[in-house]
Amino acid sequence: MSTSFSPGTTPPADIRAEMLLGARSLATPAPPSEKRGITSDLSVDEALLLHAAGWEPLDLVCGVAVVSVPVGVWNWGRGAISLASDAHDQAVDQAAAQLRGECSKVHGHGVVGVRVEVSVRTHHVDVELVGTAVRPISGKDARGNDAAQAMPFVSDLSARDFTLLQRAGWMPVGLAFGASFVYAPRRTAGTAMKQTRQNVELTNYTEAMYSARESAMEKMQRSALHAGGQGVVEVKVTEGPMSFARHAVGFTAWGTAVRLVAEAHQFVQPQVVLPLDDAVVTFEAESLRGSESKGRRR
Amino acid sequence: MTEQPEVPPEPVAHDLPKDAAHRLEELEHGLFTSDLSVNEFLLVKEAGFHPLGFVMGSSIYHIGIQTRKWGESQELTKLTEAMYTARELAMNRMEEEAEQLGADGVVGVRLDVNYYEWGNDSAEFIAFGTAVKAEDGTSYRNALGKPFTSDLSGQDFWTLMQTGHVPQALVMGTCVFHIAHRKLTQALGSMGQNVELPNFTQALYEARELAMTRMQDEAGRLNASGIVGVRLEEKSHQWGSHTIEFLALGTAVTKGSGEVTLPKPITIISLDN
Repeated sequence: MSTSFSPGTTPPADIRAEMLLGARSLATPAPPSEKRGITSDLSVDEALLLHAAGWEPLDLVCGVAVVSVPVGVWNWGRGAISLASDAHDQAVDQAAAQLRGECSKVHGHGVVGVRVEVSVRTHHVDVELVGTAVRPISGKDARGNDAAQAMPFVSDLSARDFTLLQRAGWMPVGLAFGASFVYAPRRTAGTAMKQTRQNVELTNYTEAMYSARESAMEKMQRSALHAGGQGVVEVKVTEGPMSFARHAVGFTAWGTAVRLVAEAHQFVQPQVVLPLDDAVVTFEAESLRGSESKGRRR
Repeated sequence: MTEQPEVPPEPVAHDLPKDAAHRLEELEHGLFTSDLSVNEFLLVKEAGFHPLGFVMGSSIYHIGIQTRKWGESQELTKLTEAMYTARELAMNRMEEEAEQLGADGVVGVRLDVNYYEWGNDSAEFIAFGTAVKAEDGTSYRNALGKPFTSDLSGQDFWTLMQTGHVPQALVMGTCVFHIAHRKLTQALGSMGQNVELPNFTQALYEARELAMTRMQDEAGRLNASGIVGVRLEEKSHQWGSHTIEFLALGTAVTKGSGEVTLPKPITIISLDN
């Protein structure tokens, strides 16, 4: 399609017609992948693994949503800031819906390796999801149904994790997200004075933070159930004061919802291997203790 | 010499907030959540366990004040006690959540300390982990009748189970130590020389030993046969450079009764670079 201008060429006479053409091409499904090649951010290993498992990558797809947060919600108050968490949920839902839409357009059955970027600002929440659309080469899903009929799944699992999970009889169904924002509690000056020299638990603080964290996780659970998941793996929790309002604390919890599609869990029967890489030869205590856990140990 | 409270603080029954109860109730309807990666999830399944839910506990604790002597190395018992009690509170709440799910244990436990700008001299102690239950109905509760806890990853947990060991509990010992400043004359005396600084060495040595002894005492109370994956962490938190917390953490394990044949490792040369 000739929508790009190189300097020096005259702009098309009928811009409106050009735009309509562009819009139409965005709305119509892309030609099948064998006719136009594929785009993906998978590594060579991952692409090979996918093919070995009977799947193929199709296209890089993305979903973006920006949702405004009402003015003034970050000001001092008490308890949960529900307007902010509503905006967050809405932004995530919209971005995921857009991602699914793009995935369907390229005839994908799902999106793997989704990179999730969420930023919460004073006046808006913006969510960016970028991943690779994939589909089974046979066009049939694990149960032999036509893959195109089902709702495309969205998952932040890498292609490697995706194939592994599939081999065990599970499939990702979608991203499960939950967020909650809360105002920092306060102590009266008198209480603070009394507690200066003491070792004491601050029960009201504890409860406020505890509840907020639980409520983020509960929302995540609810969204997993809504997507038809039986479990959520690789749950990540982030938390901390908002950069623009230190007295407001935000919690998010998210992961990939999965469900068992096979009759029963297929055991993978791991084998004990001794890799002979240089990396292991140069003795490194951390590698022996399973650095797989991704910075879990700090 | 154990200044750390001999017996961990008694957990207050049902002091979990209402939201926690809601969330855990929901989990009982067949959904599981976990922060395990796919590899870990599959290995935990392989070990014969099913994840039940992501559990956590937290405590925001005000840490008292203790005066330090500028030129004297000493343990700051009040701070030690605070650091220990607050972590125990968080871990107890996590165990309570696991208990509510009917779990046999908690794997992949992580302990964090957060500081908030608005909380002067206070810190939030958090414990996270994934509650698991044995699929064949065997009880894996520890010597105290509570769900076991362990900071081992899914990979390590599977490997440990292969060797016939069973995790008992995450054990810890802590020691907050004030390390004496050097006198000006001492500093001048060692200027330009290669010398050991015995007072620094001794203080750091003693503090580490104290933390490790306390950790071993905890394991002893559980009749554990050993502690695996011990880590020793040093942190100054917010006390300035001469006051350091030494934290020893590890998973106490006991040997099961069954006969074990360890699989022979296959040597592989991987093609990664």
